[in-house]
Amino acid sequence: MLQIRLFVGVVSILFFIATFEFIRKGRLREEYAILWLSTSSIIAILSLWPGLLGILSEMTGLYYITAVLAIFFSFIIAVLMHYSITISRMKEANKELIQKCALLDLRVRDLEHGKGNEA
Amino acid sequence: MDRRIAVVIPAYNEEKSIAGVIRGVRRLGTGYHVIVINDRSSDDTTRNAEAEGAVVIELPVNLGIGGAVQTGFKYAYSHGFDAAVQVDGDGQHPPDQIPLLVEPLFGEGVDMMVGSRFLGSDYKVSLMRGLGIRLISLFLRATTGMSVRDATSGFRAVNRGVMGFFAQTYPQDYPEPESLLLAFLKGFKVAEVPVRMSYRQYGISSITPFRAVYYMTKVLLAMFIDLFREV
Repeated sequence: MLQIRLFVGVVSILFFIATFEFIRKGRLREEYAILWLSTSSIIAILSLWPGLLGILSEMTGLYYITAVLAIFFSFIIAVLMHYSITISRMKEANKELIQKCALLDLRVRDLEHGKGNEA
Repeated sequence: MDRRIAVVIPAYNEEKSIAGVIRGVRRLGTGYHVIVINDRSSDDTTRNAEAEGAVVIELPVNLGIGGAVQTGFKYAYSHGFDAAVQVDGDGQHPPDQIPLLVEPLFGEGVDMMVGSRFLGSDYKVSLMRGLGIRLISLFLRATTGMSVRDATSGFRAVNRGVMGFFAQTYPQDYPEPESLLLAFLKGFKVAEVPVRMSYRQYGISSITPFRAVYYMTKVLLAMFIDLFREV
């Protein structure tokens, strides 16, 4: 058990450092940073202080590993759903930009050829 | 006649057929203006279309049929056209049939006209495709009472009202049936008229039997959700 705890603890700390580095270099937006920093913090706290898990399960009545798994899966699904929504929104924005870009390109070409006064 | 009609031709690698289509449109008279939307072709579509005097809008990234056609509607709307006709660049839609679609938009209270292969003709499509088209048609009739035999037809005309609506809202992947439904839900009057269509001369259909099932699922699902949408 100790080895596993040690492993999870090290991984979560590495995860925390990686997240911090990505934000520092501007490769991760803050809105996602909060999600991942809190995720890695929670994992780190739980691995360093396993008694907390016992207290939590006393409080919530979640004694079964399946319940913990269910929470874990819900979290993953929620994150993926969020990404799908983000991608859809970005695709729509992207499409609008491409169309606008093409229409402006035509206008520039027309202006260059002195056809700018047409309807 | 001072009506100005935009003939919107979405084109993806249609260098062989595009010039013929544009020439066909030009024979219709001066009210018709060809707008080709080159959906990032890798061939000479743009050059061949410009050589025939068409306005060519070049998309910097491939958007697919929905995004390309919508670009045409945006152009036509902002340039004050009275109506827009969508015509395939592959020669499937004979330009001499265009007036059949356009005329009813003026004075007959129709906002959108679909050119049908099946009304009063025996145009042949593959078994799978035929079944799919029938299913979509059934769906439209059951949910809205619309009677459209050839809902997947990409040969259609819209008046300025629908043009403005489509410039804002237009489905992207397989837009033909869904756009009919959206126009209907928005309160526009959609009608269908028989037209003659050719079999394509060059290139292959973008809908292979392979994708038919995916196509059907996606279109029906999208249309089902549209029924609950605020358009």
